[in-house]
Amino acid sequence: MIFTPEVLTIFILNFIFAFFAIIAFVLSVKIFLKWDLNSTTQSQYKLEKQSYLAATIIKYIFAIKVPLFLFFIFTLDKLSHVLTGAMCAAGVVDATPYGTYLFIIKIINLYLFAYWLMLHSADIKEENQPYTKQKFGLFIIAFFLLMAELILEGVMFSSIDVDKMVSCCGSLYSSSATSYISNIFLIDTPTLLTLFYGNFLFIILFYFLKNRYLFAISNIIFIIISLISIIVFFGTYIYELPTHHCPFCFLQKDYHYIGYLLYALLFGGTFYGIIAGFINSSQKERAKNCKISILLSSVYVILLSLYPIIYFIKNGVWL
Amino acid sequence: MIKLKNITKIYDVSKNDKVKALENVNLTIKEGELIVLKGASGSGKSTILSLIAALSKPSSGEVIVDGKQISKLPDNFASIYRRDNIGFIFQKYNLIPTLSVKENILLPLVPLNPDSEEADEKIQEVMKRFHIEHKEDSVVRNLSGGEQQRVAIARANVNNPKIIIADEPTANLDEKLSQHFLEILRELKSLNKTIIIATHDPLFIGLDFVDREIEIHNGKIV
Repeated sequence: MIFTPEVLTIFILNFIFAFFAIIAFVLSVKIFLKWDLNSTTQSQYKLEKQSYLAATIIKYIFAIKVPLFLFFIFTLDKLSHVLTGAMCAAGVVDATPYGTYLFIIKIINLYLFAYWLMLHSADIKEENQPYTKQKFGLFIIAFFLLMAELILEGVMFSSIDVDKMVSCCGSLYSSSATSYISNIFLIDTPTLLTLFYGNFLFIILFYFLKNRYLFAISNIIFIIISLISIIVFFGTYIYELPTHHCPFCFLQKDYHYIGYLLYALLFGGTFYGIIAGFINSSQKERAKNCKISILLSSVYVILLSLYPIIYFIKNGVWL
Repeated sequence: MIKLKNITKIYDVSKNDKVKALENVNLTIKEGELIVLKGASGSGKSTILSLIAALSKPSSGEVIVDGKQISKLPDNFASIYRRDNIGFIFQKYNLIPTLSVKENILLPLVPLNPDSEEADEKIQEVMKRFHIEHKEDSVVRNLSGGEQQRVAIARANVNNPKIIIADEPTANLDEKLSQHFLEILRELKSLNKTIIIATHDPLFIGLDFVDREIEIHNGKIV
């Protein structure tokens, strides 16, 4: 068990989230099952009032949860100072069997919650609220994922043993590691870079072809390829160390907190790309989302590419 | 055209205390009509006004204005509907006492963000029409009841709404000022505005320019 001000903050917030999410969940189930906008019965008018309450609760939970992801990473990073062997958040994630699952579920929830917020925003812009049933249906799924995240988070922080030695990121993210992560190092660098830049070019191509579905799908693939590329290739240039592949260390002060910016750009770019494909908003709105996506992803790719280029200019060799 | 179809409105005072303000009310009001809703306090007159103004929603039934079902509008759209279609005249005027006459009349225009010249033109026009232009810069709390009433009427008309709703408009006026209010009503009627007045003032009974008097009793049209 480990209690720091950050962990306590997360616990208190999680308790509040769980309390209100349960209320919203009960209302969402009722709305999802009985919603009929054309009806003028007493029960429909009651549902319309309740939908306003439920949507407000969910909106505030998700609007806080999305940026709270960065606080979670910050907390892990701070905890790494008290765990023997941990050099960064990676060691804390690996300190218990729950860390990796929590991290995966957090990333899924991050996109899901942000998607819900956009769906809600599109819904309240229309008089006939076209996404009401869809957004409450989505919340029913999101509720279980949210609860899973809150429980896992509680279990993970409770299970951390400060006296136990944990692995450092250097051993976790290496080709010699015994975990599944070592498999990604089997991909050779030229293939990986072709996939990374090729994927980005496809995003641009589908943007100009105005094919929103392929644009969205390319963005989903880009999340995975980007994360692998950071671990296998770009990370080594950020650290200027050929053996260091950690996707967390560059969140630290030593690297000017560049990780926060890179991950925010990756999340923003891919998220706006995904919603452009899957939310039936107006053409103007969709074009705006696509533009934001392209802009953020371009800055992300340029920024990431600058690291090996600058390294090459400075040293005359590639790592 | 305003249509109320099978309207029932129940207020939940507490979990076990419900008040049925309207029960199965059906009412059609044509464009340009002047309607007087009569009835004792608590009969449901003001509830009808608040439903037409989309200030509240019915418990069941439909409120349709110009073919649009306004009882189903989400709150943000209901605000736009009110802004564009409704002019309110309240019993207690509901003016902002610390602002001047001109500033009070300007308020409904603020969300439309008109340029200052256009706004000023509209304000001058309604101030002249309702004879309050000489008090343009006076702070509202220093005005008499009749003057405040005229400011409230000017404010209700500055957006040129199609529908004017007045809830007990003469309750705070003496007889002379009430007569003057009737003259204003006649003028508004000549502008082809749909006017709905909720009142229990006998002054409104038998007026030649009133199209219909509707009696409400215990939440039902008699």
